[in-house]
Amino acid sequence: MHILLIDNNDSFTRNLEHLLATTSQAQIVVEPYARLADGSLALHADLLVLSPGPGRPTDYPAHARALDSGLPVLGICLGMQALNEHFGGTTRRLPGCIHGKTEKIELGGKTLEVARYHSLFCASLGPDLDLLAVNRDRVPMALRHRTRPLLGYQFHPESFLTQDGGYYVAYALHALGLA
Amino acid sequence: MGDTTLPMRSMHSVSRSLDSGRFLALAAHLARERGADLLLSGPGYPGEKRSIVALDPLAELHIDADTTREQIKTFCFDTSGPNIVPGPTLGYLSYELGMRLRGVATTKPAPLPQGHLKQYAALLIHDAEGETCTITARDAGQARALAQLADTAPHAPAQARPSLPEPVSSLTQERYEQGVRRTLEHILDGQTYQLNLSIRFDQPAPDLDSLALFLDLYSRHPAPFYAWFTSGQQRILSTSPERFLKVTDGQVMSQPVKGTLAYDANLAYDPALEEILRSSPKEQAELSMIVDLIRNDISHHCEYGSVRVEGHQSIFRVDNLLQMYSNVRGELRPGSDCLDLLFDAFPGGSVTGCPKHRAMELIDRLEPHSRGVYCGSFVCIENKQTMDSSICIRTAVHDLDQGRLTFYAGSGIVVDSDPASEYLETMAKAAKFLRGGKR
Repeated sequence: MHILLIDNNDSFTRNLEHLLATTSQAQIVVEPYARLADGSLALHADLLVLSPGPGRPTDYPAHARALDSGLPVLGICLGMQALNEHFGGTTRRLPGCIHGKTEKIELGGKTLEVARYHSLFCASLGPDLDLLAVNRDRVPMALRHRTRPLLGYQFHPESFLTQDGGYYVAYALHALGLA
Repeated sequence: MGDTTLPMRSMHSVSRSLDSGRFLALAAHLARERGADLLLSGPGYPGEKRSIVALDPLAELHIDADTTREQIKTFCFDTSGPNIVPGPTLGYLSYELGMRLRGVATTKPAPLPQGHLKQYAALLIHDAEGETCTITARDAGQARALAQLADTAPHAPAQARPSLPEPVSSLTQERYEQGVRRTLEHILDGQTYQLNLSIRFDQPAPDLDSLALFLDLYSRHPAPFYAWFTSGQQRILSTSPERFLKVTDGQVMSQPVKGTLAYDANLAYDPALEEILRSSPKEQAELSMIVDLIRNDISHHCEYGSVRVEGHQSIFRVDNLLQMYSNVRGELRPGSDCLDLLFDAFPGGSVTGCPKHRAMELIDRLEPHSRGVYCGSFVCIENKQTMDSSICIRTAVHDLDQGRLTFYAGSGIVVDSDPASEYLETMAKAAKFLRGGKR
């Protein structure tokens, strides 16, 4: 399996690369968002991953290329917010703004401690998106598209604070029909 | 600093038993009389006991805006054959080199150079634990002469220090706190999770004996990464307690420091303070963010599956501050050397913020000054697989031409930060130099 990881100029992208490489059998290629934006990046992969990053989805219009490619996409943090906005959802400042803290969430029948780093959140969901997990304040933590292979995590499976990052990689591969 | 494997071929090496006091006197003498550069390692992280005196540069590399990574690598690694030198390459890399490596543009005038590296004809490496000093030189006569000097252990005369006028700050309290509030807005907008905001202090000091100041600070506030370094008309005084990256035969370790608690040195030390620091959600989050950032930064050149966090939320005491840190480890990937690792991880994440690129862009807008050597690194490069480096916090530059002492201090801003408290933390870190070395 080949994974193309789009780096939104973030400082957690290599953590994500190492997590994906050590918990799947995939070959990982990391490319900067700039190459998605200038059109020079060919989207040949079994899975596209949109990394976390600074700012809001509207700062990254070229994510549409990945999200409309027909390929399975996993979006992390900003990546999930991009997925949500692309399909009609909205992003707003998160009351309380959480950085570098953990919380237990339930996903796929398992409740685990996950790391949160986000100033913004998915304030309303796009009509074709389903909520898979929320935190104790009902902030969306995972969502997926109803008919397309598109999945998002608001939390950071690649953080050392997350209890079992590999579980969330396996869950994503399964949900996207890749495992 | 650093584990040393000296290329002994055609080198002359002698060892002497020397306690730390006598070694320091010798180091002071060689710095004053012979212009030696010093890396001094006092207590801090457990196990740091190696100090270096380096004299008579054989080769120097001034890094400017056009110097390439390859040129730096060639200088540091091509030390065999006719270029053989007795020990590691020492020197500093500035924050502006980091801006260039990370592709962060600035309109500020660049303080030059972006770095300065040297290789020396003679080095004295002191192991405080074994109380031994190993002297290595290209020339047998020089090695013997230095050994003789070590036996007589000269004392450097103490120099009186002039009182210095009040420094001029690049940001007043009001403007610093305004900068913190603007940073908080950037954090709430998702532009950054954490950002290090600093102040530069400039002080006229035409008659300052900066070596005496440096040695006095070391004796009163020892820390693991002190450096005294001559670069043209500038004398760099780095009194840092923080390691950046250490590589030992390809084993990578970084020790980011975040989370600070000041305590009163006049009272008996209360170990309960450590638990107060560890249990603070704000300090915990600050350290965790930087640990994730450092994991990322070393992962560029580390083997899959090798990157791990050990001793999370360890604590050491320095400068009347409790400081929290973690060990982030990995293994260098085949095909990558320690300078690949350093260049792609530089500057250290604990003095930029996260995500690094955006944090550095915002810092450039928020700070009116250039950082120069501050928030850069001192390095000690042995070979492709072995090096050590500090992060140049608590660092001053004495410019002999301009008769001016410049120093810096800063604080990490996170969403829970209170502007007034961050200003006080910054001033607490500047206190060593603010007092002009006065007790």
